Amino acid sequence: MHKLGRGHRDKLQQFVTITGASEKVAMQALKASDWNLEGAFDYFYSQPQLRTFTDSRHLEELYNRYKDKYIDMIFADGITLLCNDIQVDPQDIVMLVLSWHMKAGTMCEFSKKEFTEGLQSLGIDSLEKFREKIPSMRSELKDEQKFREIYNFAFGWAKEKGQKSLALDTAIGMWQLLFAEKQWPLVDHWCQFLQARHNKAISRDTWSQLLEFAKTVSSNLSDYDAEGAWPYLIDEFVDYLKENGVNQHGQINDSSLN
Amino acid sequence: MQVTLGCLRNAYNMVLQKFGEKLYSGLVTTMTSHLRQISQSIESAQGEIFLEELNRKWVEHNKALLMIRDILMYMDRTFVPSSRKTPVHELGLNLWRDVVIHSNKTQSRLLDTLIDLVLKERNGEVINRGLMRNLIKMLMDLGLSVYQNDFEKHFIEVSKDFYCCESQKFIESCNCGDYLKKAERRLNEEMERVSHYLDPSSESKIIKVVETEMIENHMHTLVHMENSGLVSMFVDDKYEDLERIYNLFRRVPSGLTIVKDVMTSFIRDTGKQLIMDPERLKDPVDFVQRLLDLKDKYDKAITLAFNNDKTFQNALNSAFEYFINLNARSPEFISLFVDDKLRRGLKGVGEEDVEIVLDKVMMLFRYLQEKDMFEKYYKQHLAKRLLSGKTVSDEAERSLIVKLKTECGYQFTSKLEGMFTDMKTSYDMMQGFLACHGAELGDSPTLSVQVLTTGSWPTQSSPQCNLPSEILGVCEKFRSYYLGAHSGRRLSWQANMGNADLKATFGKGQKHELNVSTYQMCVLMLFNNADRLSCKEIEQATAIPMPDLKRCLQSLALVKGKNVLRKEPMSKDIAEDDAFFFNDKFTSKLFKVKIGTVVAQRESEPENIETRQRVEEDRKPQIEAAIVRVMKSRKILEHNNIIAEVTKQLQARFLPNPVVIKKRIESLIEREFLERDKVDRKMYRYLA
Repeated sequence: MHKLGRGHRDKLQQFVTITGASEKVAMQALKASDWNLEGAFDYFYSQPQLRTFTDSRHLEELYNRYKDKYIDMIFADGITLLCNDIQVDPQDIVMLVLSWHMKAGTMCEFSKKEFTEGLQSLGIDSLEKFREKIPSMRSELKDEQKFREIYNFAFGWAKEKGQKSLALDTAIGMWQLLFAEKQWPLVDHWCQFLQARHNKAISRDTWSQLLEFAKTVSSNLSDYDAEGAWPYLIDEFVDYLKENGVNQHGQINDSSLN
Repeated sequence: MQVTLGCLRNAYNMVLQKFGEKLYSGLVTTMTSHLRQISQSIESAQGEIFLEELNRKWVEHNKALLMIRDILMYMDRTFVPSSRKTPVHELGLNLWRDVVIHSNKTQSRLLDTLIDLVLKERNGEVINRGLMRNLIKMLMDLGLSVYQNDFEKHFIEVSKDFYCCESQKFIESCNCGDYLKKAERRLNEEMERVSHYLDPSSESKIIKVVETEMIENHMHTLVHMENSGLVSMFVDDKYEDLERIYNLFRRVPSGLTIVKDVMTSFIRDTGKQLIMDPERLKDPVDFVQRLLDLKDKYDKAITLAFNNDKTFQNALNSAFEYFINLNARSPEFISLFVDDKLRRGLKGVGEEDVEIVLDKVMMLFRYLQEKDMFEKYYKQHLAKRLLSGKTVSDEAERSLIVKLKTECGYQFTSKLEGMFTDMKTSYDMMQGFLACHGAELGDSPTLSVQVLTTGSWPTQSSPQCNLPSEILGVCEKFRSYYLGAHSGRRLSWQANMGNADLKATFGKGQKHELNVSTYQMCVLMLFNNADRLSCKEIEQATAIPMPDLKRCLQSLALVKGKNVLRKEPMSKDIAEDDAFFFNDKFTSKLFKVKIGTVVAQRESEPENIETRQRVEEDRKPQIEAAIVRVMKSRKILEHNNIIAEVTKQLQARFLPNPVVIKKRIESLIEREFLERDKVDRKMYRYLA
């Protein structure tokens, strides 16, 4: 750390106490205002991103709480503990949102960098702040753009490392989770269809195009365009639905499939 | 009127002294009253005299006009133009027209009489054509509008009605051929009529009437007439009728289109029936021959009757292209047809005739959509022909390859040519081997080896087989000889493709020479050392794969006239525990008995499915290559456009399925050759 004169150190201390910002941010603000405290406050409050301040020491502590005993990563046990602490079910979709913020590479594990930088960007450095942040994370799913990003992120995150495609069972699980939020009436038929007819892994293109399909094509398929360059799996799904007489409300008439 | 110099001078003087007006009006008055008298006399003429009288008076009038014109020439040249009066001759004609021709009674009577005569002539009566000609000419002299209004207009109307009635009558009573003959006759008649006594300007009008009433208005009825319409003309090869219908229908709008359309749909239906008839499909060679016969039939019709009309040629081609591709086995069958011709059909046929047959085969080949299927079968069948030495003429084989190369390019035929090269090389190799080792071979079985370059020949799974000990020795000698000449190569015996000649002695001492496949040889040789062998034991001894072994045993034990083995139990199927015995009681009229099965034949259903699957697999990389080629040059393209471009690129070999193209695109996306555009999901982008 730089050597600060006494006056500066006092101002720094005051700034941190009043705003609750980290020392680094305080330095930035005071320097920008030429060590004028009032000016520093103005600076600070006009820069919203600085407000999400985190204390890196606290973050380190949090990380250490969850990390594996031998390896410098958080694994399933740590995640379970975390979920317990923040009072969230490990299967809760908000964990996906969290992973997205962390830019996590694979599900059920977080690297130190992913964990700390993720929480930092969320402005979390304590369990209390964590708990407080949960509702707003949840509400991010309602945003169209963010939902799409989270949805597409989920593919890379849920698949096995080194694989190009996503295993079918995992994909189905993810879809059910995601479309419970998004309310796509055909999600169950889609999953049934895949298990009956496809039984292979899902490609990235199919994954991302499915969301477009769910968003743009109505559930009675009246505006489905056969020339619409949909992935062939989706074309086959439409045929499957037509074979089984899907009516207006996306319900199959064939009772044997209920 | 007597012309005298005196008249002339009087006339001259009158004009000179400014009495031109008086002279002129005097002329008018005199001539008018004179013509009135003439008119009356014409009107009172009875019956046939009417026309003759009219004609006579007209001739006289013309003569008179000439004289009057001469007498009044000075007036005609000076007074008439300056006072803008009608010249004398013209005046004379006009007065004739107004006073005589357009008199109430005469006008209609003249028209009716003339029309009447025409109708009479149409009904077969002989009329006075000279008289008609003169009177028609008179009307023309009076002015084109007089001819048209006083005669032609009505003539055309009446003719319309006449032909309307006549065509209706004929349509109900005649068959198509006869009707057309009548129509043709009428057309010729009308043309002749015009040339004899009508004005030439009427020809196109009257012809159009006949064409419309007799042909155009009944086109559909004629063409579709049961038992005599276009279809039965084709069926019975009625070239004269076809030529007539072509010549007549081409005169009217859409006439030929109807003929062409009926022809096309009939050919399509005939072809479709042929293609789908299960009986026909049992004999591929006969089936293809029928296709060729069908083509010949219509080629002949188009040449002889349709004037080689290109539109019809094209219609025929597109009809063939349509139905040939309805049957997925057409490529196989055409190849079998070629195989038959090249194996025996063309034996003894002259070079020119061979070319004709091959050209016909090429024509069928061009119609095929799935040319890659044909290539696969052709290769298989060619391999069998070459290896069994059963080709009628090397020249014919090569000639066909050249034709295929011209049609499809070098790549299509390069492997085929490789096969021929291998045969030649093998022959040379054998010569070398025998020269080198001939002496030591002595009593060993005579060996003939063909060395096939992998990749040029249709792939087979490398078959297992334990060769009989009797030939192992000589085979090994060959192997080492070959590898001595070509180190670094690997040889593997293809036991499922060879054949052998065995000398066999049966129970009563009857000797036969058996021509068998290599597999069959392996099986039979076992019976030199054993009387009874079960299927399983044979399998163990020979290591021949069971499905092939069963086929082999069937051909040795269950075919009448070729059963050199006996099976117990005598059932049709081969079970693993069935026992086989050498058939001592075998007899055959022939010394040489052919039991070999290495001849090209129609595939069984399962084999067919397998071949199709292999071809579909081969297509996938070709489709991908085409997609990449297209995207590399276009960089970004919409989905449907990709499909169209790729189809265009591949259509010389096969018609790609859009669903398969789509799957290949997705595979390429997966492998990061392409990506979807972020904004428009229907667009794809090439990733360098």
